[in-house]
Amino acid sequence: MTLHKSRNEQLSSLRRLTNANLIFVSTLFLIALTSQSIHAQFIHPKIKSKETTIRNVVVLPAKVNVVRDSMKGPEGMAAESDELGVRIEKMIAEVLLKEKQITTQPPPSATATDGGSQQQYNVADFQTKFDDLLPKIFKKRSDVKKGRFSMGDEVLNLNLDKSVDAIVFIRGEGKKLTGGKTAFRLLVGGVPAHLKLQIGIVDARKGDVLVYTDPVLVGDPTTAVDRLRDALRKGFKKLPAASAK
Amino acid sequence: MFPRKLTTLIVAALCLCVVSTTFHPVAFAQKKKAPVEATPPPVNEEFKFGEVDLEILEQSDLLDHRLERDGLVLADDAANSYINRIGRSLVPKDLALERVSWRFRTLRDPQPNAFALPNGSIYVTTGLISLIDNETQLAAILAHELTHVMRRHTYLQNRSNRKKFLTMNIMSAVGSYAPLSLVGAVVMAVTTVAPFIMIATMYGYSRDLEREADLKGIDMMISAEYAPEEMVQVMKSLDKDIEGENIRLFYNDHPSLDERIKYLSNYLGARADKVTAQMELNREREAYFRNMSSVMRHNVQLAINAGRFRSAVYFAQRLVDFRPDSENLFWLAESYRTLGPRAQELTEKQLTNSAMKDAAKKREKRTTEEEERDLLATPAGKENWEQHQKKAEELYLRALATDSPVPVTHRGLGMLYEKLGRTNDAVAEYQKYIDMSPSAPDHERIQRRIESLGKP
Repeated sequence: MTLHKSRNEQLSSLRRLTNANLIFVSTLFLIALTSQSIHAQFIHPKIKSKETTIRNVVVLPAKVNVVRDSMKGPEGMAAESDELGVRIEKMIAEVLLKEKQITTQPPPSATATDGGSQQQYNVADFQTKFDDLLPKIFKKRSDVKKGRFSMGDEVLNLNLDKSVDAIVFIRGEGKKLTGGKTAFRLLVGGVPAHLKLQIGIVDARKGDVLVYTDPVLVGDPTTAVDRLRDALRKGFKKLPAASAK
Repeated sequence: MFPRKLTTLIVAALCLCVVSTTFHPVAFAQKKKAPVEATPPPVNEEFKFGEVDLEILEQSDLLDHRLERDGLVLADDAANSYINRIGRSLVPKDLALERVSWRFRTLRDPQPNAFALPNGSIYVTTGLISLIDNETQLAAILAHELTHVMRRHTYLQNRSNRKKFLTMNIMSAVGSYAPLSLVGAVVMAVTTVAPFIMIATMYGYSRDLEREADLKGIDMMISAEYAPEEMVQVMKSLDKDIEGENIRLFYNDHPSLDERIKYLSNYLGARADKVTAQMELNREREAYFRNMSSVMRHNVQLAINAGRFRSAVYFAQRLVDFRPDSENLFWLAESYRTLGPRAQELTEKQLTNSAMKDAAKKREKRTTEEEERDLLATPAGKENWEQHQKKAEELYLRALATDSPVPVTHRGLGMLYEKLGRTNDAVAEYQKYIDMSPSAPDHERIQRRIESLGKP
């Protein structure tokens, strides 16, 4: 219950419903027919030319939102979403280490008594900044390959360890279907259970968006652990390994 | 094929479904008779918790936790205790609501808004706190949100929406198996149109609840000795479209601000006549600004971060008007510097619905840097940029001339000079900043800037 909802917010959600989601839903159908996951990835020219190599990253807390879709509409799954977010963070760290020899450092802590809330604000503001940039990236993902997107040198305000090369941002939206809704989908059609991830890797010194990948998993996002790992592995396929010369 | 009698029955049942879920008893009651007398507190006595409601409650508790964990709740003790005092003054002391624990908090968001969770957590954004003028207006916002909680609006709306979703799903199932005949065509037509009617009723119900919250909020304000006409002022402030975002849509979950101003003014009538000394005291602008200045300054930074540069200038100017020779000058300077080539105010043409829609589309595509680059390529943009940089420099220098200048002023001036190509001045200002604040969180960032500017 809000006092006043910005119409711009309403308009953009409506537009999102009509344009992006239509494309997304039709893509989901195609995936459901063909394979279990897809993975589009876009790499910054600096990474391709090996001017920049990612060896060490910080994975910021994932923002994942999964809803249970029932015949009576969507129902929140806040606890499960948080759990899933933590699982995805760990999986990404595992995949990066195993496949790309990229190590992960813990995110900046906000528990320090001195300036604890300031550090928490810094992380929160940076997460918000990524959220603001995300629709622009999504609109023209291939421009990551041209090095078009940057979050600026404010990234240094996070005061990460000097050895950190990049920061990983994770966003996810998913849907789990109830038994009734699954049966309904078989009869009438509709969006299957899925998880759509948007992962950005940002230069920890200059703020450039180095990698953008958006793996999609078709299936129950809270239980399909192996398929999720597989989708993440494929999602980082084009990223050069840290040891590669 | 269905037997003819059966298909007629299905069509009739579908129509009945649409009609019965379209008109809700609450909506009926409200349209017939608006409350005339102040009857605080507006508690929904008949409400009984069901399983679905408990799920919503659990989700609300988790959302509270999430907002706090993610650094979105402002940890400003003074401001929080102020807002808490106002909120509690609106709730009768002996009122105990099942599964409600009142919490009034400030959300770090530059967009003017407020919302209530059914567990009793009420959030007001820094953007809204910065937009209003006095304690009474803040009380109006809280009274509106308190009504949502007391009347159990979230639960009621959720229950209503669930019924409508179920109806829509059943209809779409029936529609997809409609026989190829005249009756089938009718079934198809009904099931195609029905979802739109359902969505319209969902929004309609939401608007009814908002209306109720506005009106009951007025009653609560009077009981707590807050001048009720300030609720109208809040709506007028919200109507101030600084960023050109108030786009009119076909579906709206809130009544339009014009409509709200109208029905609130009508409802006020004689209620606004009685003004007590306490009411006058609560309307004092000075006291409100004194209590909320730190939140307002924080909001200017958030507005700049979010690319709401016009709002930043507007809010910072209000702070400077309140206390000119202070840190506030720095915030106004920052706002002008970041406003760059944009015009300070939108023109009437830019505030038309179609222009705002176009601007929203562009915002989705262009980054802030690209927007600035495009504007700087125009004569108007260039002129704005020159004016704003000049104004910013003047304000930074004034800020430095105050009794206790803040070190960040040097950083701001450094950034301004860097953009103007005055490299030596920029380095000097940056250096002053890091000398004065060696432990600043952006120390490394500024150090790197000095290094890169020093390079030939």
